[in-house]
Amino acid sequence: MARITFTGNVQPHVPCPTETIPGDSVADALGTYFEHHPLARGYVLDDQGAVRRHMVILVDGIPIRDRARLSDALARDSEVFVFQALSGG
Amino acid sequence: MPALTEKHRQRYDRQFRLGDIGEAGQRKLLGSSVLVIGLGGLGCPAAIYLTAAGVGRIVINDFDTVELSNLTRQIGYGTEQVRQSKVDSMRDHLLHLNPDANVESVGHVMEADELQRRVAEADVVVDCTDNFSTRFAINAACLAAGTPWVSAAAIRFEAQLTTYHPRDAQSPCYRCLYPEGTEAAESCLAEGVLGPLVGTAGCVQAIETLKLLLGIGRSLVGRLLLFDAMQMSWHEIRLKRDPGCPACGDSPQAATS
Ligand SMILES: [Zn+2]
Repeated sequence: MARITFTGNVQPHVPCPTETIPGDSVADALGTYFEHHPLARGYVLDDQGAVRRHMVILVDGIPIRDRARLSDALARDSEVFVFQALSGG
Repeated sequence: MPALTEKHRQRYDRQFRLGDIGEAGQRKLLGSSVLVIGLGGLGCPAAIYLTAAGVGRIVINDFDTVELSNLTRQIGYGTEQVRQSKVDSMRDHLLHLNPDANVESVGHVMEADELQRRVAEADVVVDCTDNFSTRFAINAACLAAGTPWVSAAAIRFEAQLTTYHPRDAQSPCYRCLYPEGTEAAESCLAEGVLGPLVGTAGCVQAIETLKLLLGIGRSLVGRLLLFDAMQMSWHEIRLKRDPGCPACGDSPQAATS
């Protein structure tokens, strides 16, 4: 189970409201999330299902390790944040 | 810490009046040293406010020249500075603002050993750069030197800010958050950026830097602040140090990889 939140800078491009979704891993929970919000998938993942190089997925404040398969485990009340890394200054 | 003159008392009067700063705090600022890397939309307000506040030594670094398209947000320069060096223009601006300041300009891209030396000499580093690779280099240098750094980035109507503090065991580092190979999807050149938005982020960096120098308040360590100017909302994400981080992690194997 995880609360999945996309930060503001993702949302103008695709609809991605905060949702609480069951799942033992990030792949499980995001898989279900992307069934609800199919446009969000391509914004976060590439065509191989890996996290795009400008996107960051945090689980309880720490980025996921497995950016290729998203196998990182979720706890019962995990907070998942998805945001875009910015570099401009 | 330097003694205060009557001129200092007049100039910094409104800061003196803040109970958390006072005379001791002002003397601390006058004895402090800050390295500002990047003199664009973040670095202009950051360097200007830090100099105005009486930070004794400011080292400013940028290799670039001023362009007309910079002037919506890079408030340290005027139209007559177009095509001139940013560090030279900013140095003039800062000394005009506060002749007490000891301003050193570095007008080239620093190699690793110069960056390391200058980071070690600074009390706080202010990251006002516009690219990931420089931030990875600042992260490595700050971890090695134990120097805290205040980082920000912005595009369009959005900004992100946090502070990394290598001497705080709870603090993540930049590499905890962003894997090597992180790339920007977009640039301000292509996407645009709102001047006051990036200026706000630079001002927050100046506030955070002053707090770190003074040792007051609650720092942004372990918190990523997201500012959405279109919604006019601030959002905070908690960050943790990653024990498996290749740059600051616990295991010697991880530390060398
Ligand atoms: Zn780290």
